[in-house]
Amino acid sequence: MADADNDAAPTVQEPLDLVRLSLDEIVFVKLRGDRELKGRLHAYDSHCNLVLGDVEETIYTYDEDEEEEQQDVRIMKKQSEMLFVRGDSVVLISPQPSS
Amino acid sequence: MSFFGFDTSLPKDRGHNPKAPGFSLAPDPFAGLSSRTGGGEKEVLDFEDTYDGLGDQLDETGDAFNDDTFGEEPVGKDFDFSGQTSKISGTMQEEQAFFDARQPPPKMSPQKLAAKPVRSGYEGYKQADYIPSLEVNASLWGMPSKAKSPDLSASHRQQSSGPSVQIGRKMMSLEEVEAAMRSQSQKPAAVQQSAAQHLPPPSQPISQAFPQGLSLPGYPTFSAPSPQVDTTQQRASGGPQMLQRPTKASDQQVLPHNGAQGVQAQTPQILQRPSQSQAQPPTLTPGPQASSNRASPQSIQILQNPNRVPGPAAVQPPQVAEGVGGMAPTGPTHGRGLSGQVPIVTRPEQLLGLSEDERAAFLLEDARRAKRNHKIYLLSKDNGLMTPQDKNFITRIQLQQLVTATGNVIDEHGPEAALNEDFYYQVHAQIRGPPRQNPHQPLSQFAQTYLFQTGGRPGNANRRHPRGGENHVQRMEQQVQRAVEAAKLKPKNKQLVIEGSLGKISFSNAKTPKPLLNIKRPESRDLRSQSGTHVPTRSNDSVATRRQTLKDIERLYMTLMAMEDHERRMPPPPNEETPADLIQEHIEWRQKMQELNQSLWNDLKVMEPIDPNSPIGHPFMAILSLPKGKKVIPRVFRHIDDQQRITILTMICLYLDQLDVVRLAAPADPNDTTATLPPPAVRDSVELFSQAVMPSLFGYVNDAPLQIVVGLLGLLLDRVNTALILRTKVGLAILTMLVSRAELIKQATSAQSTQGINEREWQQWNALYNQLFDKAEPVLPYIFPPSTNHPSDADDVHVWQFLAAMAVGANEDQQRRLVVAVKDCVNDTVEQSKALPPEIAGRRLGNVNLFMRAIGLDVDLLQR
Repeated sequence: MADADNDAAPTVQEPLDLVRLSLDEIVFVKLRGDRELKGRLHAYDSHCNLVLGDVEETIYTYDEDEEEEQQDVRIMKKQSEMLFVRGDSVVLISPQPSS
Repeated sequence: MSFFGFDTSLPKDRGHNPKAPGFSLAPDPFAGLSSRTGGGEKEVLDFEDTYDGLGDQLDETGDAFNDDTFGEEPVGKDFDFSGQTSKISGTMQEEQAFFDARQPPPKMSPQKLAAKPVRSGYEGYKQADYIPSLEVNASLWGMPSKAKSPDLSASHRQQSSGPSVQIGRKMMSLEEVEAAMRSQSQKPAAVQQSAAQHLPPPSQPISQAFPQGLSLPGYPTFSAPSPQVDTTQQRASGGPQMLQRPTKASDQQVLPHNGAQGVQAQTPQILQRPSQSQAQPPTLTPGPQASSNRASPQSIQILQNPNRVPGPAAVQPPQVAEGVGGMAPTGPTHGRGLSGQVPIVTRPEQLLGLSEDERAAFLLEDARRAKRNHKIYLLSKDNGLMTPQDKNFITRIQLQQLVTATGNVIDEHGPEAALNEDFYYQVHAQIRGPPRQNPHQPLSQFAQTYLFQTGGRPGNANRRHPRGGENHVQRMEQQVQRAVEAAKLKPKNKQLVIEGSLGKISFSNAKTPKPLLNIKRPESRDLRSQSGTHVPTRSNDSVATRRQTLKDIERLYMTLMAMEDHERRMPPPPNEETPADLIQEHIEWRQKMQELNQSLWNDLKVMEPIDPNSPIGHPFMAILSLPKGKKVIPRVFRHIDDQQRITILTMICLYLDQLDVVRLAAPADPNDTTATLPPPAVRDSVELFSQAVMPSLFGYVNDAPLQIVVGLLGLLLDRVNTALILRTKVGLAILTMLVSRAELIKQATSAQSTQGINEREWQQWNALYNQLFDKAEPVLPYIFPPSTNHPSDADDVHVWQFLAAMAVGANEDQQRRLVVAVKDCVNDTVEQSKALPPEIAGRRLGNVNLFMRAIGLDVDLLQR
């Protein structure tokens, strides 16, 4: 098990390579517009376009009551078998330790 | 005094004269003046002729005439320009007065004028010149008198006081000048009047005396030829100047930076400008109007006022009228005699001689000249304020700032650091320096440059030298040179590490911004393998280990992809006809493949040492614990040889209880007999493992000899809690795999009737089988997955497969024990299947039948 492994490039060269580590893993993705996704990352590219599988989408909507000043946060969840996420809405991608 | 000065300076002045006409901006009035005065002392014409070569003679002659003029009184040559001028001023004023009075009789001046310009080098404007010059002169000489209050009785006083005042004040600010111009423009009428009234009496005697004065005749000559407005200005200023600085009179205009004296010399000019500029405009308009000798000067004056200052014009008209009125009587009487107005008187005659067009053109030109001169004057207002040394010094300071922002730091690192922050220097370097190539030179270069920059400081070598102007220039040049060199040598690379310093200096530009972080990337492989081995020690940090596992997997994939890519480029397999180079290529390809295989093998980390403290155990097991780690196995198996495969299989068997699909799926408590379903995530991974990894293992085991099967089973029974793995799907599957393979081998060998070939192996196998059976028998009732709740989708096929495999190899006693152990399960399943839809029931019964048939029975028997 000596050398002969020079040509294997280092794993992490740029930030996106960290995303690469999460390939085929469950990731948590925060999107613009108060949306969150949680699913298995199948593919990504340099624009952070993502393909996610078994996605659970969480949408937060804020209903403001003018009279009472409390904010109602409504949470809506959707389940998708496969999602393509356009990269310009991605705020963050976080690995989600699976159980 | 002054005349002596003049004479001595003549040779020098003459040297300048030839150049003077060539100066576009500043026609050298002094040059003309000096030459004229020199000539004027004796014979104007002759002097012009002998102009170039015969300066000495002229001096002598000039001296002689001076003596005649001023008598024998001894004249000191130690002029104190700054101090004595005030004393001298009186004399100067007198001379000016003389000059005014002596303005040539009308007939005389034209001739001289005509002759003069030709020789003085002002050939360009010779013809046109004299008329305007005369006119200008008139206004000019009138002006100083204007400045004075009209009640001054003597024109001498008027004229003298003007210059003296001017000399007394060193400089006038622009505002002052403008104010003066304005005030003068308002007054002219009164001035003219005063000039007309007051001048005549003194002028008469002077004009009579004029022939006597040898030096004085020069005045008309130089005044007359002065074609441009300048000359008038020059004359006025020149008077005092000549007195003050006999030697430098001509130089001052050309070389304003000669020194502090220049400043003084120029002040008169500045003061006179306004008057001149005022005088000029009238020249434009009056031309056509000038019809008669007397009327013309006055008309000019009258016109002048409204033209000059439209605003105050309303106030002025009365004055003008007055002036005219005043003139009317005096004009006829004194017309010729007016010394101050001589040029005015003469002008009309000359103007008359000219055609209308010529006159207009000439006046236009004159106006243009005046304009330009005024501009020059404005520009050159501050000429001579600084000595050349001063300028050089300033330049050097500026240069220093170009070269470095910090002027005082002498240590070697300082300047460079500062330079990098200095925008202007950067720009300078950009402009000056081509890309710098040599990263090692710059330090010394910069230091050198820098040290020399501080040349003015004590201790510097340059200090020794006298502070001559040349020295300054030299130093400046040296500095420029050094700066350029330094710029050239400045390193182009991004960083500059200065010897002995801990930090680095980064250069930045728009394209390559300065990196704020400079993190060295680890030497990838070494550090990685290191960290790989050290992962277990960080056992507590599960996130880190997980991250490490992810990295391992990624590396594995990358190697794998490189390998697959390389495989695609395999050259055609060599045969006898293959040319040598192709064979060589093939060999290289194989070598490369071998390398890749080795790195793949390393990436798998199968052979990594085991840290018992690690939560995930062996790194290979960690890889297998992740979905993509499982998925990679089939691909890896394609590229590794049998030895590596058996190694992997051995590792899996050895650490089967560490494998996540076994560890997590097995019940926490081995004695807990209640069948619990593993969580869904585990079930998914178990499913994945069954689909991804198991086929590869099967594929290998299906070809494995009995020896290996025996070895693997031995390992399993020896090292692993068999009872536990029996209750997991993966564990059961592996056992089934091994047992069934052994049975297949047994059947194959028995079919070939070569039984007993390897009796010892079979004995080993039988012993192991018995051992397994003994261990498995107690837990057989519990190996079934909990299917009571969901009988329809009970996933128990692997159990029946295992039972079938065991049953095949079992002897009669063992078969009986098997049936006893699982009889309830069989009956339950059969009972449940009756209530199920036919297809599911059929599937489940089929599963049961796997076992039933293995023991020579059939489910159908039970159903009946």
